[in-house]
Amino acid sequence: MLLEFDQVAIHLGGREILSPTSFGVRAGEFVCVIGPSGCGKTTLLRAASGFMPPTHGQVRRHGRPVQQPSREVAFVFQDYGRALLPWRTVASNVSLALEAARVPPAERPARIDRVLATVGLTAHAGKFPAQLSGGMQQRVQIARCLAQEPELLMMDEPFGALDAMTREGLQDELARLQREQGLTVMFVTHDLEEALYLGDRVIALRAHPAPGRPSLAAMVEVPLPRPRDQLATKESPEFLRLRRELYRFLGHD
Amino acid sequence: MASRAAGQSPSRLRGPSGRIWPLWGRRLRPWLVPLLLVALLEAHARTLGRGSDALAAPSAALWAGWQLLRSGELLAATAFTLGSAAAGLALGAGCGAVAGLALGLMPRLSRASFLSIEMFRPLPSVALVPLAMLVFGFGLRMEMSVVAFATFWPMLVLAQAAVRQVEPGLIEVARALGLTPAARLTQIVLPASVPRLFVALRLCVAIALVVAVTVEIAANPHGVGYAMSLAQQSLDPASMLAWLAWIGVVGVAVNGAMLALQRRVERRMGGAA
Repeated sequence: MLLEFDQVAIHLGGREILSPTSFGVRAGEFVCVIGPSGCGKTTLLRAASGFMPPTHGQVRRHGRPVQQPSREVAFVFQDYGRALLPWRTVASNVSLALEAARVPPAERPARIDRVLATVGLTAHAGKFPAQLSGGMQQRVQIARCLAQEPELLMMDEPFGALDAMTREGLQDELARLQREQGLTVMFVTHDLEEALYLGDRVIALRAHPAPGRPSLAAMVEVPLPRPRDQLATKESPEFLRLRRELYRFLGHD
Repeated sequence: MASRAAGQSPSRLRGPSGRIWPLWGRRLRPWLVPLLLVALLEAHARTLGRGSDALAAPSAALWAGWQLLRSGELLAATAFTLGSAAAGLALGAGCGAVAGLALGLMPRLSRASFLSIEMFRPLPSVALVPLAMLVFGFGLRMEMSVVAFATFWPMLVLAQAAVRQVEPGLIEVARALGLTPAARLTQIVLPASVPRLFVALRLCVAIALVVAVTVEIAANPHGVGYAMSLAQQSLDPASMLAWLAWIGVVGVAVNGAMLALQRRVERRMGGAA
């Protein structure tokens, strides 16, 4: 198990946001965490990335407790506008990850070119973030995370602020990247279809846990064949069945 | 058709000169009021105010200014004033920036030093002139020290605020990427503070000029401020006005240079500044 959540609970302001929750993430797996706002899904992801300790329980990576952020774990922030350095060009923003990892300067250009090509930004390497659309800025952030060559990619509603067309394009691109590079991804979203379309497994959390109503509402395997297709997959009976099943779990029951 | 086209662009209705007038007009319009005032002053000085000890005709002031330029006095005094303002600014704003950045990064130190800062900061810088005179005597060092004191505090306060206001998202990125504390400072905090530091610098430049000229008028027998008050004391309104106008020109030029510098930095930083 690459990542283990062992009775992880989160309290904010004295209130229990996430009741003790346990599950694991296997290497190479794409796990989506879904739930209404305020269910603690982002906090769970932040705790798993070492940004903050959980109130109770433990997150373990390779059996060792996660205590602080690691370069092995890349984090894609929802707000790309605040995660890119506005004074650095696209290439230079990607370079930041390499500088942090102390990659020798001579090796950097080739690695930057490679990740920019992977996300289709080669032509924009010299531009500043403010000159790019939202979708392209988020690609830059993903490129920077890929440059880290992480074993685990944490994504916090990365496509939440994008328009539907851009979002679908980036979903397909992410699915391709994950397949090609064998990435392990933990993906937080509030969009049920997005979770089912991308995930091998979907973990549904509910807000306001109570005794007898734990945060972990459901855990569903998504056996849909890959590569998936925006139309065919989303129209398949299996997809619709899963969508219906999860929909009930998400506080609509 | 023709009448509709003409109606859409009223500037074309100005007749044959219409194509020249708007171009010149647009360039000249901002100068209209100042030129009119100068002309009025000139007319006043040549008629009602003839022989006044307070005002001189702009033409006389211009002539006096030309004489000062030819004698080298103008440039020497300007060099002294700008030099001591710049040296004081470099010392005061430089130390203020370093101290402000340090306090911004260390909230505990900032809380501990709050009272001492608030005791010194409101002290009017010109009130330090007698002390500075006792310590340094007349000259560059005295003026520099007062300018340094005057620019230190605003830079300290604003630099501290600049660091505090760095986008928290960028700090998280630094944590996620595992940047060392030194890299976090040089790659994230400092560049992210540049726009606000620049605003602080422009404020300090203006303060430095004001304080330098004030010190010269009040005490230091050097520079443009002293030259101007000397002209006043020798009942030479033409020279006095020449110095006054020149100080204005220098102020505008310094501000223009700072704006140009800011734009250059902005462009290099991708419009971030």
